[in-house]
Amino acid sequence: MSKEAVIQVDSLVKKYGDLAAVNGVSFTVNRGEVFSFVGPNGAGKTTTVEILVCLRDLTSGNAKVLGFDVSDRKGQQQIRKRVGVLPQDFNTFDLLTVKENLSYYKKMYDGGMDIDELIRLVDLEDKAKTLYKNLSGGLKKRLAIAIALVNDPEVIFLDEPTTGLDPKARRDVWDLIEGLQEQEKTIFLTTHYMDEAEVLSDRVVIISYGKIIADGTPSELILQHGGKTTLIVEEGGTEAHDILRKKFPDSKLENGDVLVPLNGKSDLPEAVMTLNGNKTKFAELIVRRPSLEDVFLNLTGKKIVDGELS
Amino acid sequence: MGGALRVWFRSKHTLFWTFAFPILLMLLFGAIFSVSDDPRFDLYVQNQDIIGGESSPFSATFVDMLNGSGVLNIKMVDPAENTAEYIDEKGVEMMLLIPDGFHQSCITQNATVVLKTVPPEVDTSAATVRGVVEQIVEVFNTVTTGENPPQVVTVQQESLVSENYRFIDFFVPGLIGMTLMTTGIFGAIGWNTRNRELGILKKLATTPLSKFEWIIGVVLFELVMCAVSTVVILTVGVLVFNLRVLPNIYSIILIAAGAITFPGIGMVIARFVKETDSADAAANAVSFPMMFLSGSFFPLEMMPPFLREIAKVLPLTYLNNGLRDSMVYGNASSALYNTAILLVVGIIFIIIGSLITNWRED
Repeated sequence: MSKEAVIQVDSLVKKYGDLAAVNGVSFTVNRGEVFSFVGPNGAGKTTTVEILVCLRDLTSGNAKVLGFDVSDRKGQQQIRKRVGVLPQDFNTFDLLTVKENLSYYKKMYDGGMDIDELIRLVDLEDKAKTLYKNLSGGLKKRLAIAIALVNDPEVIFLDEPTTGLDPKARRDVWDLIEGLQEQEKTIFLTTHYMDEAEVLSDRVVIISYGKIIADGTPSELILQHGGKTTLIVEEGGTEAHDILRKKFPDSKLENGDVLVPLNGKSDLPEAVMTLNGNKTKFAELIVRRPSLEDVFLNLTGKKIVDGELS
Repeated sequence: MGGALRVWFRSKHTLFWTFAFPILLMLLFGAIFSVSDDPRFDLYVQNQDIIGGESSPFSATFVDMLNGSGVLNIKMVDPAENTAEYIDEKGVEMMLLIPDGFHQSCITQNATVVLKTVPPEVDTSAATVRGVVEQIVEVFNTVTTGENPPQVVTVQQESLVSENYRFIDFFVPGLIGMTLMTTGIFGAIGWNTRNRELGILKKLATTPLSKFEWIIGVVLFELVMCAVSTVVILTVGVLVFNLRVLPNIYSIILIAAGAITFPGIGMVIARFVKETDSADAAANAVSFPMMFLSGSFFPLEMMPPFLREIAKVLPLTYLNNGLRDSMVYGNASSALYNTAILLVVGIIFIIIGSLITNWRED
């Protein structure tokens, strides 16, 4: 992947009266990356995207997409030709078919992708003549992504593309996004799902209350802020807890499971031997690596559940 | 029901229109039907009874009485003018002819005046004027011959239009006008609010599509809708009611102008009302009064003067007038005049719409 910056944001601020939805945000997105903006609802993700796709004015700072300034009229015209956008909660014409919907949006541009090829790309071939209202939620999203690709854009913005989808549909969309990345398209994703950001992204920015609290690749962030690998002794109970606490004072008891943070290579075998040696009862042993959820928890002390902080 | 009431109560727009609308209607109808002391009908009068370069005494008296009626707006026509050509050229709708020899005929008590209008049975204005003229004739008879007057002067009714028109033929132009307005306004507003809710407008705002192109697209679409509606009305009229008024080329151009103007107005309204409920309510609030105040159903002459003034600023008035003049009276110049006005209004609204339509979120 070349290191050409396709999106450059510097000290971006968006205020509504005294309330700052975006409060001094700076980052860069490179060509061909899958870049995620993760955070709870109201963190400022959608606002940032809307500023980048020229739907909203910024209050201060500056932002450039593909070298064009988002605050400049001519720049906006150029940006609109070259980006694809899937807004949040997007629905298109109920009474048009998949193919008709795509043709409609394609007309807004000069050139663009071949419609049939696009339908094949998102795997909607056998639904090409189906009316939008008759598609399932997951297929509607696939069409929406296809619509965002209709002008063969260099950069695609997907605003919460899997919110509201069932698990299978979510994986479907993930596959689609991974497929797009192979085509050297730059993808800017917003989401409140940490696992999604971790699985899909080359780089992640975590945003909360309008400010960036972390910026890096998933592995970097996990290394820096993820904390330790944990041994989970399922249903070990107070018995296992008491035994393990002696060697591993940081062990916690949570809902009947014992969580043991592992510091070094030898910790795991030691813990297991301790349990065996005392013939401790438990349901199962699980080794859990830290994830972006842990990163968020360590940085903010909170979790994101269904998009909300808790 | 409780839940529904709460929803209604909290939607400020709906609330406003729910109350404002009936009040508006009441005021409207009250005003229209209030006894008007001041209707003014235009009546062209040509006095052909000229003796030695001046009007004969009896004819002069008659004309004076016409002028003094307070209800008729008399427009004198030079006796040298060819009556039929004058009517065509000026788009005259009501004319009274005092024939040559009137003075003599009064003396011999068998005079007539010829009243040329559309048949009074089908047009309220013509009926009213006919009534007024009859009254004046009564008074004239009394004045000239004293009490228990014999019928010195009688009124001869002639039809101004060559076709044998019935009520439906006078009704249809107003109906077409009304339909063009509602189709245009409701259609344009509907497109905007529904698509805004779907998120389609937001998506379109990220494409190179300009606001102007979008508005033109909606206008053209409504143009087609209006054409379809008009054809339906005319077809039903002809097949079921044996309709005789039909549009000529000028009417068609006029209809097209109307079909551009009202969507333009609709798009501007849509800029200010964003939810479906309030959009419908606003559309109704604009359409209903306009429907009644612009003479679609009641002749303007019957309404109080201040309402007539209001009618002058309503686009539908011009559409109705133009349609009636061209379809019923065959008056091309009136159609063109009204077309021009509608086009100018339409273009202004489209331009305003392009400037103020707000796709961006701020």
